[in-house]
Amino acid sequence: MTANTEEHELKDRLKLIESMIAEGRRTTESWGWTFVLWGVAYYVAIAWAALDPHHYLAWPVTMIVAGALTGILASRRAARHPETTIGRAMMAIWVAMGISTFILMLSLGISGRLELHTAVAIVGTMLGAANATSSIILKWKMQFACAVVWWAAVIAGLFSNDTQTSVVFLAAIFFCQIVFGIYGMIRDSRKRRASGTGQEASHA
Amino acid sequence: MPELPELNPVIHGKLRLALLSLLSGVEEAEFTWLRAKTGSTDGNLGAQLLKLEEAGYVAVEKKFVQRKPQTLYRMTESGRKALTEYVQALKQLLGAAIGA
Repeated sequence: MTANTEEHELKDRLKLIESMIAEGRRTTESWGWTFVLWGVAYYVAIAWAALDPHHYLAWPVTMIVAGALTGILASRRAARHPETTIGRAMMAIWVAMGISTFILMLSLGISGRLELHTAVAIVGTMLGAANATSSIILKWKMQFACAVVWWAAVIAGLFSNDTQTSVVFLAAIFFCQIVFGIYGMIRDSRKRRASGTGQEASHA
Repeated sequence: MPELPELNPVIHGKLRLALLSLLSGVEEAEFTWLRAKTGSTDGNLGAQLLKLEEAGYVAVEKKFVQRKPQTLYRMTESGRKALTEYVQALKQLLGAAIGA
């Protein structure tokens, strides 16, 4: 290959490299469903805790089931998609946050030191931190807005009575888990439609 | 006038170039995912991946996941270096073509 190489062929090769690298990176972006799943799990746990006399089991059981469901669905997805550094970083943030929150809440619950304001403050701070970290890595402003909502909910909850704190928590779950999760899913599906199946390169 | 660079013939093949570019953005990828992204046939894809493997640009790992066989491909350090050098050579050639 020398100077007589056609310019358009060289540009074609460069375009192919760019499109294939972008295609590989696109696989890390479909996580909207986890937000919806966990949002629903929080609502189930809250409803169970409010209605059932054995409410002390509501949160641990719901969280374990949601964690197992996420694991199963994520591993099925992983079988179809390649592993990326960003994907593993995202997983690390959320798994570490989930385990830390679970251990802390369970210990506080068993030791009898858990009450509503503390619970909302811990969950809100943890979710705010995880959303902020994730948004900075992904450069996703909308997710950073979710982190801000969680932090605001923590502050508002700590300066309110029990009923107001519960309403703030329910509203934060609705906007940051359900609405944001659905928005993420719609965004992913639009991106997938726009990109089609990618540029084909079936000739050697 | 500086001498124009040669393009690495192992990478220059369109499908091999697409495969290396895809693998540069991920840690490892399964054969079926590479097939879907490139729109290639099993035979052609396998042959081109073998050439990349023989050149030391990709590493292969075969394992079973949920009792199903899975072939995973990962870009090696020399593959990454070769792709970087290829892109640099390509840009140099393009610069020369535009300047001519």
